[in-house]
Amino acid sequence: MPISAAYVSKEAATNLWRNRLMTAAAILTVAVSLALVGSALLLKQGASKATELWQNGVQTIVWVQPTAGSAQTDAIHTQLQQSPYVKSCIYRDQAFDYNEAKIVLPPDELAATTQSQYPSSFRCVLNDPSQAAAVYQQFHGKPGVYDVKYPGQAIKTMQSVIRVLQWVFLTVAVVLLLSASVLILNTIRMAIFARRREVSVMKLVGATNWFIRLPFMAEGMIQGLLGAGVAVLVVLALYWGIGLDKAASAASQGSIISQMALSGWEVFFTCLLVAVVGVGVGVVGSAFAVRRFLDV
Amino acid sequence: MITFQNVTKTYKGSTVALRDCSVEIDKGEFVFLVGPSGSGKTTFIRLLLREEMPDSGRIWEAGKEIGHLAKWRIPYLRRNIGCVFQDFRLLPNKSVFENVAFALEVIGRPKHVIAAQVPQVLDLVGLSKKRDNLPHELSGGEQQRVAVARAFVNRPLILLADEPTGNLDPQTSLGIMKLLDRINRTGTTVIVATHDAGMVDQMRRRVIELDRGVIVRDQAHGVYGIDSATAAAGAGSPTGSLAEQMPAADAGGADADLHDPFATRT
Repeated sequence: MPISAAYVSKEAATNLWRNRLMTAAAILTVAVSLALVGSALLLKQGASKATELWQNGVQTIVWVQPTAGSAQTDAIHTQLQQSPYVKSCIYRDQAFDYNEAKIVLPPDELAATTQSQYPSSFRCVLNDPSQAAAVYQQFHGKPGVYDVKYPGQAIKTMQSVIRVLQWVFLTVAVVLLLSASVLILNTIRMAIFARRREVSVMKLVGATNWFIRLPFMAEGMIQGLLGAGVAVLVVLALYWGIGLDKAASAASQGSIISQMALSGWEVFFTCLLVAVVGVGVGVVGSAFAVRRFLDV
Repeated sequence: MITFQNVTKTYKGSTVALRDCSVEIDKGEFVFLVGPSGSGKTTFIRLLLREEMPDSGRIWEAGKEIGHLAKWRIPYLRRNIGCVFQDFRLLPNKSVFENVAFALEVIGRPKHVIAAQVPQVLDLVGLSKKRDNLPHELSGGEQQRVAVARAFVNRPLILLADEPTGNLDPQTSLGIMKLLDRINRTGTTVIVATHDAGMVDQMRRRVIELDRGVIVRDQAHGVYGIDSATAAAGAGSPTGSLAEQMPAADAGGADADLHDPFATRT
């Protein structure tokens, strides 16, 4: 016997309206938890993008003693070129470095320094950014080398902060999702209780088990879906609100956000996942309620 | 139509509800199930609805052995059984029409079938004029008529009634019994569990008496109790009996007054 979709949705809608306070609570809980899941996913994707960008774009810099002669400088250059870690290398003389420092550093820090006292440098791009430490080992303390700087530590700190944040988000989200499914379970249980007369008559006249169950299952699914809908709105608001969509626009060039830029597809799949999880939570919650409380 | 073969049913931690019952009920019979409270009448009905399973013994119903029925087939079994209870079990927020239609809706009957069958059966029970009333606007007897209409609207093979007149006064009870009798004459097997001695005595139909789970009597044209049986035998035909009030009760439903669209069921 086919079960008409119109019947199932009509019954589910009636139930939802009859029980609207509990329904609202369940939907909001689903929404909050899924919004957290969605934001955590966006953050994770954005952060890994940014990290990748930094690692590829960031240079390992070998500063050369201002006192080093051109022979020593050339020796360092040769060694860098022969190093298996280094992809390419550019020499910046003292004039360039000094001018750059004038832009980057606060004036009072440079006040005591003249151009001739300022180190020249080799700006190196590595084959694999994670091997920067090996380059440091190789060149640190070598004659003529003033210092080796690489942003490894900064990246690591950034990554671990993001990782911790993700775990916190996800843990909170999972706990909230659990409570959301329990809330949905409870609303379905109340709906079953409110309709126990009808259910007993339905059983008596020979309605099939699925005919009796489906409206309740649909009710849970709708709650999950509505919650997911709100969560998707939150995720989209986050996406547009902090400008994750403005990938390469000039205005945000150079900011952290621009490096976290995500494509529309990535956001679409995040939203899709949020919706699927929402429906899943609704179905699981109502399935438990139906199994446990609907004695058919 | 219905066969009990050495059926025993015991509820957890309580006494035996039915003990080694064997009985056969033919198609189209009208059977009273009598006995004091706790004698197993309701268990008998619940076994037929497959709300309970027998501990031992076998039950055949409409050609099927229902002990071996897969769980998912139970609803289809129940579509062949109409059921009426003492407490009517109507849905309070649905009108008379909707209550009867509900029984067809939930087994997936199309709208045009519902639109055709519900008025017919409401006509049969005499409630055509109250089709839009809610149950609380009806008298007890009328509510029970709605329940009978709901039980019968799907033209079941068997109609079970558990104390159908338990909440009704004698005059109203008579009306319900007439209605059940009329349904019986369409070929539907009717089984009525009852305490209503007067009704049983008047109807003079088959009586199966249960006492503490055992069938103590199975009589073709019986009365309620052994005492009233002997009394009735002494007095001859009871005067003013229902059998007399209902013309042609024994004439196979040939009376034109009782002709209805359901009478031709085979």
